[in-house]
Amino acid sequence: MNNEKMKKSSSKKSRPASLDKRKARAGWIFVAPFVIGFLLIYLPIIVDSIVYSFNEIDPVRTGGYTLTFVGFSNYQKALFENADYVKTLVAGIQQLLLEVPSIVIFSLFIAVLLNDKIAGRAAFRAILFVPVILSTGLIGSIDAQNNLGEFMDASESIDTGTGQSTAAALSEAINLEALFANMKVGTELVEYVAHAVDSISTIVNRSGVQILIFLAGLQSISPAIYESCRMDGATAWETFWKITFPMISPMILVNAIYTIIDSFTSESNAVMRLIDSVYSQPDGNVLSSAMAWMYFLIVILILAAVAGIMSAFVFYQRKDT
Amino acid sequence: MNTQPTIKKETKNKIRVEFDRTPLKERLKAKFLNLPFYTNIVWYVFRFIILLGVSYIVLYPFFTKIAASFMSPDDFIDVTVRLIPKYPSFDQYKAIFLENKYMAAFFNTLTLSLISAILQTFVACLVGYGLAKFKFKGNSLVMGAVILTMVVPHGTVYLSMFMKFRYFDIFDFFGIFKGLGYAGLYDGIVDIGKWIGSLFSGVPYTNVTNSIQLTQTFWPMILLSITGLAFKNGLYIFMMRQFFRGVPDELEESAYIDGSDTFRTFLQIIIPLSVPMMITIFLFSFSWQWTDEFYTNMFISTNKIVLMPKIVGIPKSLETTYAGQELYYSAINNTCGLMIILPLVVLYLFCQRYLVQGIERSGIVG
Repeated sequence: MNNEKMKKSSSKKSRPASLDKRKARAGWIFVAPFVIGFLLIYLPIIVDSIVYSFNEIDPVRTGGYTLTFVGFSNYQKALFENADYVKTLVAGIQQLLLEVPSIVIFSLFIAVLLNDKIAGRAAFRAILFVPVILSTGLIGSIDAQNNLGEFMDASESIDTGTGQSTAAALSEAINLEALFANMKVGTELVEYVAHAVDSISTIVNRSGVQILIFLAGLQSISPAIYESCRMDGATAWETFWKITFPMISPMILVNAIYTIIDSFTSESNAVMRLIDSVYSQPDGNVLSSAMAWMYFLIVILILAAVAGIMSAFVFYQRKDT
Repeated sequence: MNTQPTIKKETKNKIRVEFDRTPLKERLKAKFLNLPFYTNIVWYVFRFIILLGVSYIVLYPFFTKIAASFMSPDDFIDVTVRLIPKYPSFDQYKAIFLENKYMAAFFNTLTLSLISAILQTFVACLVGYGLAKFKFKGNSLVMGAVILTMVVPHGTVYLSMFMKFRYFDIFDFFGIFKGLGYAGLYDGIVDIGKWIGSLFSGVPYTNVTNSIQLTQTFWPMILLSITGLAFKNGLYIFMMRQFFRGVPDELEESAYIDGSDTFRTFLQIIIPLSVPMMITIFLFSFSWQWTDEFYTNMFISTNKIVLMPKIVGIPKSLETTYAGQELYYSAINNTCGLMIILPLVVLYLFCQRYLVQGIERSGIVG
């Protein structure tokens, strides 16, 4: 009796399993290109990269290359012998931590402005997204070489073409720090805001994707919630903090993580540029691997910390499914 | 005055309601003379100005670059010239076009970008669909791998990626291929053993020479594209996955019930549905491949194939020792940049509608 029951239940179980299995197989076929590439190309590359950072590498004339195990000496060289690495690393991480909030706040602000109806909304969206398409890679590096800013300002004939000097001129004209000095908000905050205004063109150029992510989030909030708020007499300010902000908070997390990843993998990043320049030095290729791995580990830690702290404050709306 | 509306029956199916309208003055007063109206106007103007200002910041660099590209060296030492050149010339464009191999670079980059963009879009679509719609063991593991490829910066894998394609070989595949048979496989195992040994003994490890060189060709890019590992492909896969998660399952279920299998459903139901999203991904991958210098400089470093990064430079005929030299050279470099992105601008003008739509529908909303 008991045995029969077990048989029954097992046969019951096996029938849906076959459909699941078929679906699972189809799923594996769909992801196969990536999985094969990941296992055969990417994983070896990652492992090699770690291995190289512990070795010295010499190409052999007959083809192939020679690896000599040197332990942690590359890491030691990066930390203690290279004059710029630690300095750039600290400055880079500081800048990262300063930039991320300003980019996220700015893109949220612009997304809220763009979400309501306004003349030329489509045009504004298209324009704000221009830097994502056009100012990456090659153009970015051409812009980075344009460090003739002071010279141009002196001759006043033409801008560098990066927009940096306009923003600088603007902030000089307004002199923000003097403006805020009388408010009792602490000098650090004033300096932070002044710095953010100075680098407004960088911030604008780097928040294209974030604005769109926020826009997508804003449009998924049901208008019925806003309507009931208005009926209850909430002001726009209250509505923003009580409705929009909690509803958009998952997007804030996503955007913070995206911004961190984007800014530390971008080639305009100071640390990345240092690593690139070290790579092209003689005997610098393994050293650059070691540097990159240390940088990567630090940023992963930052990412984990940010995700951990922020996800405690994120509000997820239960969708009734 | 009669305030009640009067209802008159005109014909069988038509009625006419007559009532006194509030005078125009009163109506205008009610509409315009209240606080919410003014706050709305102020808010509207404020928003408009902010957006204008931000757009200006985005577009201004392009204005200056375009203006500078039409300037001749004389303009750069003339203090009165700001945006509009006094001595306009096409010299810069002409010289870059003729001397920097613009056409060759254009067609080579077009080929490379088209191949990799199409492959990347399709692969992102496949993998994204697999991750979004099928529950299988290891689904989240694969997703984790996708995110890993997104997070690891290029600098970290620069050297080993170059080495991989410079001495391309998977499990000593080419050793076997070259007719060495099992000897090749044996070599490979010995090789790994030697390498592990070198860790302890300190004897240098030398790689086998059966590998083939893939650098200086398009192959590294093609291989990376097919496997969804190229520049920012993790992001594309992620976006496609989010998009497909928003597609209702009922669509596929009804297709299954009508007797369609998984792949036919994918090709005939899902692909047509996701065209805006695919255009978005295509636009991203095409333009990021177009302006990419990281991979192109790494894999194609000689002058055998001229790609876009190679044309940035000062043409011989424009070399000058003039007073405004530095400025002029910088302007020429920017003109190179303008000529590089010109095709992208055209593409963007056509696709930007889909781009915004696609991203909004991707609803990275979770």
